[in-house]
Amino acid sequence: MTATATILPNRTRRNLTIAKAMAEAIAQEMRRDDSVLVLGEDIAALGGVFGNTRGLLDEFGPARVRDTPISETGFIGAAVGMAAVGLRPVVELMFVDFFGVCMDAIYNLAAKNCYFSGGQSPVPLVLMTSVGGGYGDAGQHSQCLYGTFAHLPGMKVVVPSNAHDAKGLMIRAIRDDNPVIFMFHKALQGMGWLGTVQGSITDVPEDAYEIPFGQAAICRAGNDICIVSLGAGVHLALDAAQSLGEEGIAAEVVDLRTLVPLDRATIIASTAKTGRLLVVDEDYQSFGVSGEIIASVVESGVALKAPPRRIAFPDIPIPFSPALEHPALPSAAKIVATARQIVRAGR
Amino acid sequence: MRPSPKQWLWMYQTMVKSRIFEERIAAAYFEGKSPVFNMANGPIPGEMHLSNGQEPCAVGVCAHLDAGDFVTATHRPHHIAIAKGVDLDAMAAEIFGKATGLSGGRGGHMHIFDAAVNFCCSGIIAQGMGPAVGAATAFKLRNERRVAVSFIGEGAANQGAFHESLNLAAIWQAPVVIVIEDNAWGISVAKAQSTAVPQNDARAAAYGMPGHRVAGNDPEAIFAVAGAAIARARAGEGPSLIEIETHRLAGHFIGDAEGYRPKGEKEALTDPIPQLRAKLLGLGILDPTADRALTDEAEALVDRAISKARAAAYPVPEQAYEKVFA
Amino acid sequence: MIPVVIPADLWEGEIEGAVSAWLFADGDAVRAGDLIAEVMVEKTSFDVTAPAAGILRIRVPAEQPFKRGSIIAAIA
Ligand SMILES: Cc1ncc(C[n+]2csc(CCOP(=O)(O)OP(=O)(O)O)c2C)c(N)n1
Repeated sequence: MTATATILPNRTRRNLTIAKAMAEAIAQEMRRDDSVLVLGEDIAALGGVFGNTRGLLDEFGPARVRDTPISETGFIGAAVGMAAVGLRPVVELMFVDFFGVCMDAIYNLAAKNCYFSGGQSPVPLVLMTSVGGGYGDAGQHSQCLYGTFAHLPGMKVVVPSNAHDAKGLMIRAIRDDNPVIFMFHKALQGMGWLGTVQGSITDVPEDAYEIPFGQAAICRAGNDICIVSLGAGVHLALDAAQSLGEEGIAAEVVDLRTLVPLDRATIIASTAKTGRLLVVDEDYQSFGVSGEIIASVVESGVALKAPPRRIAFPDIPIPFSPALEHPALPSAAKIVATARQIVRAGR
Repeated sequence: MRPSPKQWLWMYQTMVKSRIFEERIAAAYFEGKSPVFNMANGPIPGEMHLSNGQEPCAVGVCAHLDAGDFVTATHRPHHIAIAKGVDLDAMAAEIFGKATGLSGGRGGHMHIFDAAVNFCCSGIIAQGMGPAVGAATAFKLRNERRVAVSFIGEGAANQGAFHESLNLAAIWQAPVVIVIEDNAWGISVAKAQSTAVPQNDARAAAYGMPGHRVAGNDPEAIFAVAGAAIARARAGEGPSLIEIETHRLAGHFIGDAEGYRPKGEKEALTDPIPQLRAKLLGLGILDPTADRALTDEAEALVDRAISKARAAAYPVPEQAYEKVFA
Repeated sequence: MIPVVIPADLWEGEIEGAVSAWLFADGDAVRAGDLIAEVMVEKTSFDVTAPAAGILRIRVPAEQPFKRGSIIAAIA
């Protein structure tokens, strides 16, 4: 049930967590290209709060693996400057929720310098940042904010759902000449203390490889309904598709993998095939990813057997209490119930 | 300025209360988190930042404040909340995510708000400084003798909001005191690695305000320096900055294995509570019987808060949609 | 059968550890040195690698407690 486990011939599986896959991708790029360096809070000796830079300090030393002060505006701005003169910084913003203290450096600098300079000054920078809730960390440490970043032009936005994709997308991101926001979901990261969705641990080839941006993955085929999701939502959708399958509803599950660029063609083709669409997004519902996907499908003019639906986080700050947070989050049960309604409505 | 015997006993008992509270919280936090330590599980999910070792900062400062004074704290708020007089029962219930919590379970441990005593805190580094400057400026505008205090960690002194807020406080001559709890670590990053000057009180000069450094995690010295700064603010003489040397006796949060901490560093730190107890016994302000009574009383208050919190009902899911707007 | 043993000196005392995630399923082929499991003891996590190449036979499922020195799997 993995999105894109490619097992090459003559090779046994090697399973990794997303944290380890990200660290391996960065290490391989640092070996290949001296201009790649990593900066952020607690990314050196600690190896990143979420484990995605573990081992890099030992191999590459403190000049290329730099712990920063808690100065996000300063060091993300500095990364833009490094990129302007030929380095390829990989920067960590520990939780995406902290974007509030540094968004200017991200969307007014990193995202616009290429355009403002008429292409003279591209910004090859990766900003990796953790997203997602469900573990009781409350409203300043649990958001996804996919739509916030995808809305603003000039940044590519990547959201892996499994280790295989995380490695290939990270390598692609580092080689990209543009700012790439690499959003990794905490529930998939493979840190025991955050729990780990088993499906995120996948086979990861040793060699460096790229996953192109703008290519969604169809991680389960089906003819009755298209369920589009990203990040942790993909695993909920796969679980739901399994249950739906048992009651005779064949769901197709599309893992977006990148929001910018967005693979509208795959979404539209899948919806055209099934005639039904359900979008699952852990980000806030209004003005975001789910609306964009539904709009794209409707604009394409494909024939729908039932109105498209979405399951997203309601338009409220994320509450702390599990009694409040859990019912507000997308779940496999919600997906099953909604998909069933869509399929019945469209018969 | 030295604490009166009554103030000493309040300071000591408040430190003890805070410590017992956090011991009970830590025990509850570990429930359901073994054998696999998964933050999502147990009666208290999420991150949990304890303040054990840092209690002197809270009591030495809050001894000079009353309910009308405005305090902002950090992700590590319990000791300050307790010293500021936050409702212990409602705070415990909030940390357990219950309907009877200060915020009905919406905020949790990093978002303790008690408007009745003008206390709030948040999880973004240095975020409380702007609001403290603003509240202080409002008090000044209205000719009230109230002050504001913003507690931050030493790691926050490198955040933009720190520098912007100090400058604002100075040009507006706001009755605000910035208190830096310098526990030497910002998660895994040592102060020396992150900060270009050894002491942050030196930075006060750059903003035209007095800066003080208090060594030794010493409640008496903190009381004296904070007392002078708060009196100065109340008298309309402007803002100050105080950096207090304190100790993080545990990990950054519960679950932090602290592999980055040099061997022996933590073991060399002294626990301020037994230290203060010995001092007060020596001064004759406390005797073993009074110590027992103070401790028992603190323990009873904490145990009542924790058991009420455990027994309280969870909010119903629909309540998540309430209070988004006033 | 080569046992996958959690070294008795990996931690101290009577506390129990548990596998937080098996990286391979029972019956999967693994190579010597492959990371096969992550073990958590209270709040510290350790990587467990395969001592030899072969077929993984899981003896202790994820989240089930065991003592240090235990055999958690075998390589056939
Ligand atoms: C703007 C922002 N950046 C990063 C973090 C993540 N973070 C939480 S606590 C912390 C360390 C804070 O250190 P310090 O201010 O010294 O306080 P202490 O934890 O030592 O009490 C960091 C980096 C955050 N909460 N907010």
